[in-house]
Amino acid sequence: MRDPGTIWAVIAGMAIANFVVRFTPIALVSRARIPEPVARWLSYVPVAVMASLVATEVLRPGGSWLLTPRNPYLLAAIPTAFVFGKTRSFLGATLAGMVSFLAFRALVG
Amino acid sequence: MCGMSSPATDTSARASGRLARFTRGVRLGFPILLGYVPVGMTFGVLARKIGFSSLQAVVCSATALAGAGQFIALSVLAAGGGVLAVLAATVVVNLRYVLFGATLAPRLGRVSHALRPFLAFTLTDETFAVNTTDARIAGLDPVSALGVGAIAWLGWVSGTALGALASGAIPDPSRFGAEFAMPAMFTALLVGQIETRSHAYAAAIAAAVALTTAAVLPGTWGVTIGAVVGAAIAAWRLT
Repeated sequence: MRDPGTIWAVIAGMAIANFVVRFTPIALVSRARIPEPVARWLSYVPVAVMASLVATEVLRPGGSWLLTPRNPYLLAAIPTAFVFGKTRSFLGATLAGMVSFLAFRALVG
Repeated sequence: MCGMSSPATDTSARASGRLARFTRGVRLGFPILLGYVPVGMTFGVLARKIGFSSLQAVVCSATALAGAGQFIALSVLAAGGGVLAVLAATVVVNLRYVLFGATLAPRLGRVSHALRPFLAFTLTDETFAVNTTDARIAGLDPVSALGVGAIAWLGWVSGTALGALASGAIPDPSRFGAEFAMPAMFTALLVGQIETRSHAYAAAIAAAVALTTAAVLPGTWGVTIGAVVGAAIAAWRLT
């Protein structure tokens, strides 16, 4: 649990940060184009973010390493990815992930 | 681009009233609302779990409208990260908006300067997809795009409110596998991002950088550094 002051600071900071990220290019880019190498880098950012998140959330759940094949987070990620690949449903994949996490935790935990 | 749409479609779009154009955007964006409500609810529940009040959860969604950027903020806060670590993470997650904005900017030639901040504020993966698809057909209509943004915002904020208020009624979230809700969403988002072989390589590089960083540096900088450096290596080495 975090204290309310920290949370309000995070909320205010996020409101400003997200607006600046979105508005700056709209305010500026009509005149100057983004250089090609920067555009290439930006095009890889989303996939790099998600891969970094998944790797750390799955192999370091709660901030401590869980490098074992009996890791329910690691095991549950497989059906989650499969369901999303088949159905393209965000909600369906999340629910399938939660259900298989419960099953794997009961089996191996 | 505005100038590239045919004069006929341009005139018919301009001729109909502002309200009709806004309503058209609301209709176009309605599927976004359906998608945002359940995900917003998940954000509301998880935010309450790590110490947000219901008001804080709703204000956060209403002012940030940041999807994955908000989930990563929760994950960094829950892991003990400070305000700066949270902001660094949310900015990195949403850096792609720079690219979206740069893609939209040339189409905004005749859009009034008063409307631009609102269009920027409601820029998300989904509104970008709907608006660029619509722009290909009819030319970008900023008033319609505003309607798309408004309905998306409503879905995200009302979903968050529902989730935050209902979270008290859920006795023990871990009984439903709630620990895996965020990892599951990130996994689905990752699969959705892998469109080409170079994206798959970029994902592997970023994951390796993130884990190496996590082994060396304390806190939650692994994700931020994994994303920035991983994407840089991918852009430099891959075609």
